[in-house]
Amino acid sequence: MNPQLEELACLYVLDWLEASERASFEACLLHNPQLAALVGELESALAQRIHALAQLEPPAGLLAQIEARIDRLPAMVPPAPARRVTSLWPSLARWGIAALLAVGVGAMALQYLRRVPAAAKRPYVIIVGLDSRQSTLAELPMPKRSQDADACFIQLASLAERFWERPEDLPVKLRSTAEGGRGYALFDPASNQGFIAIRQLPAIEQGQRYHLWILDTASGQTREAGVLPLTDSNRGLYFFSVAPASEATPGRLDFFVTAEDTTASQSTRPRGKIVLGDKTVF
Amino acid sequence: MSPPPENAVAIEEVCLLAQTGVGDRDAFRQLYARYGVPLFSLAVRLVGNTGEAEELLQDAFVKIWRNAASYDSRKSRPFTWAVTILRRTCIDHLRKRRHQPGTTPLPADGEATLDCSTSENGRHATEIREDNDRLLGALAKVPPNQRRALELALFSEFTHSEIAQCLEQPVGTVKSWIRRGLLDLRTTLTDSAR
Repeated sequence: MNPQLEELACLYVLDWLEASERASFEACLLHNPQLAALVGELESALAQRIHALAQLEPPAGLLAQIEARIDRLPAMVPPAPARRVTSLWPSLARWGIAALLAVGVGAMALQYLRRVPAAAKRPYVIIVGLDSRQSTLAELPMPKRSQDADACFIQLASLAERFWERPEDLPVKLRSTAEGGRGYALFDPASNQGFIAIRQLPAIEQGQRYHLWILDTASGQTREAGVLPLTDSNRGLYFFSVAPASEATPGRLDFFVTAEDTTASQSTRPRGKIVLGDKTVF
Repeated sequence: MSPPPENAVAIEEVCLLAQTGVGDRDAFRQLYARYGVPLFSLAVRLVGNTGEAEELLQDAFVKIWRNAASYDSRKSRPFTWAVTILRRTCIDHLRKRRHQPGTTPLPADGEATLDCSTSENGRHATEIREDNDRLLGALAKVPPNQRRALELALFSEFTHSEIAQCLEQPVGTVKSWIRRGLLDLRTTLTDSAR
């Protein structure tokens, strides 16, 4: 592991990172098992250090005093269902802005095409606007691509957060529909990672789950990008990754979300109704 | 009977925090039973007297109760999470205390000196009795400058630049010492556990 990441891990465990640094480190932590293992070991060393202090018993009545204070607290409001995923993003956004500036993404032009060309010479991220009728694709050129996987992930996460906070910056327009779904996805074809933002989805029927798919329209290959962990709010920003495309030079990609029966046998192909994206893909 | 493996303990504590997050008072009491002593000891070490430490421990446990629902086990272990809440509570208190009238303000950068005595010496009134031989042995193997930087990072309210000022080193060097100190401690403890 590189020394910079090790140093960040140490500072993270000691709570010495600024909020923005902490958020970006946590984003890395969630996708780097080696880093998570190191953090676990450092936490263990820290815990042992604290347990090796002279151990002092708090006064006998202290718990009762704490509980009395808790009893006086206003009733707790349960967290919003999507909070666990989305709560990371406000702080990530601040870091993200800095990171974007650092890597030059802030300077990139928001040029886009209605349809992605079969092959792009420069690094790019695919942005897909999704509603209950169609998908609209755009290509966002990236001026520079880091060789470091964590940096790439953070770059993508920062971009996802930026659009989540400021959907008006999206290079694709999200149609407002009274019913049906609305959302967008970002996908890095080089790393096969992406984020899907769900702004609105119809309530899922009993016994079904929403699945995200990526279709190579040239080869017809469909890749499953996972099950959306939606809850009652049907709103959230989620990370996904997919297996690499089988074609060396994949064609235009399309994205869609289907409602699949949970009781159906596992399938590598979508069988359910398309709730987000172009209904004519099949 | 040998103690349960560390992971099993952590999983139990994750469950206790999850139950606390949905308002289970019994789970909260079990967390207090596990964390009360080490967190109180840490608070006393940080603020230097039991009276303030009691108040701060109360504050920290109320925060644990209120924030348990937002705990994310992918980001830290429950004990580390609780330690972070307590340390932030103590550090906020210490920083307010030193800015109160009648207390000595922090010197400007490059001026005067901070009271950097810590850990093994007498910064706090509490007598520090390190009774964990394995930990002491491991700490002894950490070079003194790294150990001092690590102890200041753990047991003081000082910022990066203040610790750098204390140790008369650039911030980057201090961060590097802290990193190496904690990594060395981790390695030594891991090796001695085998």
